[in-house]
Amino acid sequence: MIAIDAVALAYGGCRILEDVTFTVRAGDVLAIVGPNGAGKSTLLRAIAGAQPLDAGRITFEGRPIAAFAPQERSRNVALIEAEGAPPEGLLVEDVVAAGRLPHRPWWRWSSSEGDRRAVDRAIARTGLAPLRNRPFAELSSGERQRVWIAMAVAQDARAFLLDEPTSHLDIKHTFETLALARRLAHEDGGAVVVVLHDLNVAAAFADRIALLGERTLLACDTAAVVFDEALLARVYGIPIAVRHEPNGAVLAFAVPPSRVVS
Amino acid sequence: MISPRRSYRSELVALAAALLVACAALTWAISVGAVAFPFGAVLAQVVHPDLSTQAGRILWEIRIPRVAIASLVGASLGLAGMLLQTMLRNPLVDPYLTGTSAGAACAIAIGIAAGVASAALPLLAFVAALATALIVAALARTGTGISHERLILAGISLSALFAGVVTLVILLSPRASTSLSILAWLGGSLAGRGWSDARVASIYAAIGVALALALAPMLNGLRFGEARARALGVDVDRVQWGVVGAASLLTAAAVSVSGIVGFVGLIVPHVTRRFVGNDARLTLVTSMILGAVLVVLADTIARSIDPPLELPLGVLLSMFGVPIFIYLSFRRRAA
Repeated sequence: MIAIDAVALAYGGCRILEDVTFTVRAGDVLAIVGPNGAGKSTLLRAIAGAQPLDAGRITFEGRPIAAFAPQERSRNVALIEAEGAPPEGLLVEDVVAAGRLPHRPWWRWSSSEGDRRAVDRAIARTGLAPLRNRPFAELSSGERQRVWIAMAVAQDARAFLLDEPTSHLDIKHTFETLALARRLAHEDGGAVVVVLHDLNVAAAFADRIALLGERTLLACDTAAVVFDEALLARVYGIPIAVRHEPNGAVLAFAVPPSRVVS
Repeated sequence: MISPRRSYRSELVALAAALLVACAALTWAISVGAVAFPFGAVLAQVVHPDLSTQAGRILWEIRIPRVAIASLVGASLGLAGMLLQTMLRNPLVDPYLTGTSAGAACAIAIGIAAGVASAALPLLAFVAALATALIVAALARTGTGISHERLILAGISLSALFAGVVTLVILLSPRASTSLSILAWLGGSLAGRGWSDARVASIYAAIGVALALALAPMLNGLRFGEARARALGVDVDRVQWGVVGAASLLTAAAVSVSGIVGFVGLIVPHVTRRFVGNDARLTLVTSMILGAVLVVLADTIARSIDPPLELPLGVLLSMFGVPIFIYLSFRRRAA
């Protein structure tokens, strides 16, 4: 669905990524991981068409993402950026309903029956029905994240790009948020790209992992392949151990200086 | 569990209430004056204008145009303030932010000192206001968009510059009458305004209103911050230029007929948000209604406290409006 082809990105006049090539398929969850400053969020924004490319091209179903008009792009690709200031005085439903904005020509002020159905569907899909009439500002971080995802679902987008959706969440809300992202891919056929810091969370929830480091894409495959002790240690600059559990799970963890890992 | 969909009933009730208050304020303002008319007479003249009677002439040639201009000024300033506060997400912003009032004041001061015909002053004020806004917007331009900080800084800087020029002109003018004329304009007034003034200003104000209303859905997207708005397909740059353009046009239109009427563009957005929340579709419309009500009431009081003398409108609004606003805004903390 999304093809990233020989892409180079610059930030503040300085190249931070070069020669990045991979694809994101419909029905797949792809996690982007890498050290701080590796360009994960910048790459995600580039996929959303919100960041100009220094070289290469990014296409959505064969068409360059840069060629989409702003509203048309938002009908296809939903970018959910890390939490900013919460909007004041809005109910959960109002926030979700804003996801219909790209479907509305500028002269139409009110929501159509189709808009209302899409909002109902998004609220049901994300399990927000009990919170529907609550003020957004009163929600917890985990609930807010779910509302932003609901907004993206209401957009009727086919690709969901999430930037560190779990950075402030506890283990339960991390689980719920990423389980929801998985359902959007596996059940609804969306393409999900999610930037994550925690390697193990990425391994647990993503079908494939793209590892950024050394100003390029170092690997893009399943966790079992990408999590190579030597590679991770080189990228992160610390000793890292990888365990392959009998149930197929892959774990990676930093080795504290004083401890010997057999 | 199925929760009910959002209903806008309370907001729509507030909007209807604002409309009722507006009708009452307009009717009262039209009936008050040197010759007082009962409500029935006002209504009869409004429904069936009869210019052959004295009442008809007073109402249609003096009172109604005056109230119409007061509404126009109030609605323009209220809407301009609402637009800028919404876009900048800053409740301290007023419509004179883009330098319109200072630019107009500067041109008027020099114009009066140079003996420009008073009939030409509104046009002079309008052109100077728009020109200043253009300079401020040009200074605030970054890439394809507008930087909020640069917009505020450029507006404040240019306003300070022009305020200095105005003071200089007042101090240097050899005749006291010149200084007084300039000061009267700075104080804001609708004295002697008629249909011809309304006609010109209303054309520009109408363009501003149309532009503003077209932006309402996109302004709603901006409530989530610029990055999220862009993700929702909002062309943020276009909205910013639209807001600055509409607000400047509205303010220039208002300033050209009324001089500087402060405070309206600051308080009206606050009161509006308290009434109808922050859905731009509601706030933009309501800020026009409430702005019109405020200026119509203030102007009526300004001309009826000590007739035939008139208090400067801007001064009256500051002296009575500010204490009321402070009371309304700060009493909650005591409760």
